[in-house]
Amino acid sequence: MKRRARRGSSLFGLGIANSLIPVVSAFVIGAIIIAVVGENPWTTYQFMLGQTLFDASGFVKTLHYATPLILTGLAIAVTFKANIFNMGVEGQVLSGAFAAGVVGFTLKGLPAPVHITVCLLVAIAVGMLVALVPAVLKAYFGVNEIVVTLMLNYAIVEILRVLAQTVFRDPTSGYVSTPSVAPSATFTRLFGTSLTLFTPLALVVFVAMYVLFKRSRLGYEITAMGINPGFAEASGMDVRRKIMTIMLISGALSGLAGAGFMLSEKFKYTLDFSGNPGLGWDGMLVALLGGHDPVGIVVAAVLYAALKTGADSISIFSDVPKEITGVIQGLIILLLSIRYFTRTSVVARRRAPTRKSSEEPVRAAQS
Amino acid sequence: MNVEKILYDMLSYSAPIILCVLGGNFAHCANVLNIALEGMMLAGAFISVLVVLLTGNVLLGVLAAVIATFVLGLIFSFFGITRRGNVIITGLAINLLAASVSAFILKAMSLPNLNANSVANVAGMKIHIPVVESIPFVGEVVSGHPLLTYVAFLGIAVMSVVMYRTRFGVYVRVVGENEDAARSVGIKVDAIKYAAVLIGAVCCALAGANMALEKMALFTNGMTAGIGFIAIAAIFCGRGRPGTTSVYAIAFGLAQSLAINLNLSAGPASGLFNTIPYFMIIGILTAVSIVQHKNNRVRGLIDG
Repeated sequence: MKRRARRGSSLFGLGIANSLIPVVSAFVIGAIIIAVVGENPWTTYQFMLGQTLFDASGFVKTLHYATPLILTGLAIAVTFKANIFNMGVEGQVLSGAFAAGVVGFTLKGLPAPVHITVCLLVAIAVGMLVALVPAVLKAYFGVNEIVVTLMLNYAIVEILRVLAQTVFRDPTSGYVSTPSVAPSATFTRLFGTSLTLFTPLALVVFVAMYVLFKRSRLGYEITAMGINPGFAEASGMDVRRKIMTIMLISGALSGLAGAGFMLSEKFKYTLDFSGNPGLGWDGMLVALLGGHDPVGIVVAAVLYAALKTGADSISIFSDVPKEITGVIQGLIILLLSIRYFTRTSVVARRRAPTRKSSEEPVRAAQS
Repeated sequence: MNVEKILYDMLSYSAPIILCVLGGNFAHCANVLNIALEGMMLAGAFISVLVVLLTGNVLLGVLAAVIATFVLGLIFSFFGITRRGNVIITGLAINLLAASVSAFILKAMSLPNLNANSVANVAGMKIHIPVVESIPFVGEVVSGHPLLTYVAFLGIAVMSVVMYRTRFGVYVRVVGENEDAARSVGIKVDAIKYAAVLIGAVCCALAGANMALEKMALFTNGMTAGIGFIAIAAIFCGRGRPGTTSVYAIAFGLAQSLAINLNLSAGPASGLFNTIPYFMIIGILTAVSIVQHKNNRVRGLIDG
């Protein structure tokens, strides 16, 4: 018993180390880049993270911005973990948000709880609808989902741009934007902080997803598909239906993330609604950093939200472009693509110190 | 509507896709899924215009672009091949890095975009083929493209020879077909994979330089707008064969040309035409996948 416990904790430590090394290295490289631009990396990072992580009201604000990232992170994880690559989370977020916005400013006179619920449900439906296309194509026709979802992203951005410029344009606005959602469709701020009910709502979703990942049959099947799709299919799993289910869950989570961001933060659709890189891409980092584990995703979402909101304040206090977050994000993802310590390398080292550690190649989805 | 213009634009828009496809084929055949084509192309576009802006030398710009994407290719290969990382995530990271580093440098230079028109003469980079130019219809379509556009079309033949008539091409396909068998007969599998990825990287640099430097001498953020992924779709459809994949690339070029030319004659909803290429790709990829899938029932669903 004692030995097993010790081994378990060392494996847990491995997970942390595998996520920590990329983050620390990315920040070190980022510091070098900041120094090259001619700014002090230390003070820049202090501006970035001091106010967003180590200050009470700043931290609450960080939680507010982390909320949609938790949802998009879960949306990515549920598919990536099964070796299905839904790269369309960004497009699903945008279409969900747009739909919530349209319902938010067209319906009038509803009581707030009803109005918000309708907005969220419509957004979830739209997100699922967008995810349905690659899901059907992948499950029943074997079409590569990476290409389809990426192409849909570009198409959705164009379609929403046209809609925002023509049918749903707010004529009183000086730039391309839809009208603001009605007051009855906005999440009210809690206790004068930047938090809204959207955050507890996302936490409820998180608990549901935690149960799904850790305790449900579907969660087990997702893991099985991710480890060995051939075996999963051979053992009698209906892989087609699983792909459909997983993609629809992913789409629903994305739609909800977009709607929540719309009703708690943006209130209208603009061309830079999702920021750059958008919520969907941030979700990818969050999911990878969190190791496709629900708890890890929440931690990663909070850390990343701190980094991103902090970046807005560095452009006020220094000359470092806020695009530095994109650079650091890219570096973290790059460094996260490999494992630094694996179970086999630890076991091998313990048993035979001289043997060269070998690791199983991570299976990549093939065409 | 002007048919010559549409066909001219078709060749023009096809060229970068063809270059990406020709380079990407090798990685595809070596069984390395390289989704970093997009980022490599963007890096090529950015570096070529940046260096031309700084030095005024077009050749130096293209050379710098090739070197920059070569480095990206090496990074991709080190993480994805040597360290056996997840190549999809590695590729994604390269795409993100290319986009954010170029945006970062633009911001640090306080420029909204890079415009090298003051130092590079775009009209002067177009090649007017002496005799062909004066043929009525053909001349307007075929003549007057920049050098790399012609390189792209000549490349189809060159890459077919490399793929099917050289030892290297055979090795690449053997590695893709059965890695263990390749290793057992003494082929250096990782070296072949590196070479396949790096050829792709160099071709993407040329594609980027063609798109940004030769046609406009201008770089704007995210200007590749999914061309790299369009190329991946073409590679999937044509199963890595240089000739077939190039035909798909030209088809996608035609879709883009139609979208742009229809745009000019349409009203406020003209942006919707921009979605034509994307939907067309999904349609074609679906059609091809259905056909391939039917002949391929034995293999597992996810591998198929």
